[in-house]
Amino acid sequence: MDSFDNFHSSEKAEASELQRMIAVEQQKAQFQAQVHSFTDICWDKCVESPGSKLDHRTETCLVSCVERFIDTTLTITNRFTQMVQKGAH
Amino acid sequence: MDGQGGAADPQLQQFIEVESQKQRFQQLVHQMTEVCWEKCMDKPGPKMDSRTETCLGNCVERFIDTSQFILNRLEQTQRSRGSSSESMMD
Repeated sequence: MDSFDNFHSSEKAEASELQRMIAVEQQKAQFQAQVHSFTDICWDKCVESPGSKLDHRTETCLVSCVERFIDTTLTITNRFTQMVQKGAH
Repeated sequence: MDGQGGAADPQLQQFIEVESQKQRFQQLVHQMTEVCWEKCMDKPGPKMDSRTETCLGNCVERFIDTSQFILNRLEQTQRSRGSSSESMMD
């Protein structure tokens, strides 16, 4: 019966290590999904016809695109939150 | 632990309701962000200008108005057709 306690604590340690690993992988996956999403959106906005290299104007547009898209998401979230709070549902 | 196998835990139910509401909210925000980004953002610039901000605000409100309008119209149509089946609007 004294090995029972050891079994319990090592099991717990494994479980929480596994939880931690899963959380890290989830975070990585979320980040990747976000990168894909931005690439999609900003490709559409910034790349007209693909040239022989990524020119400076396109790069600038891409940087602006990511930032403006984040701004847009915040603006819309705030406005929509306002509307919901006013009961315009 | 209650012995009522069929009865749901009200606390759990409330939790689920709140989480579902959050999810619906998030989904709408996502949808509107996509739609309004297309409508209002031409070429992304170095900063968010007031014209784009105004457009985004209008976009959200008009989108909600549009959904509501279509919903009302559909309900009207269903009523006037004397549909005996259950309402499709839940």
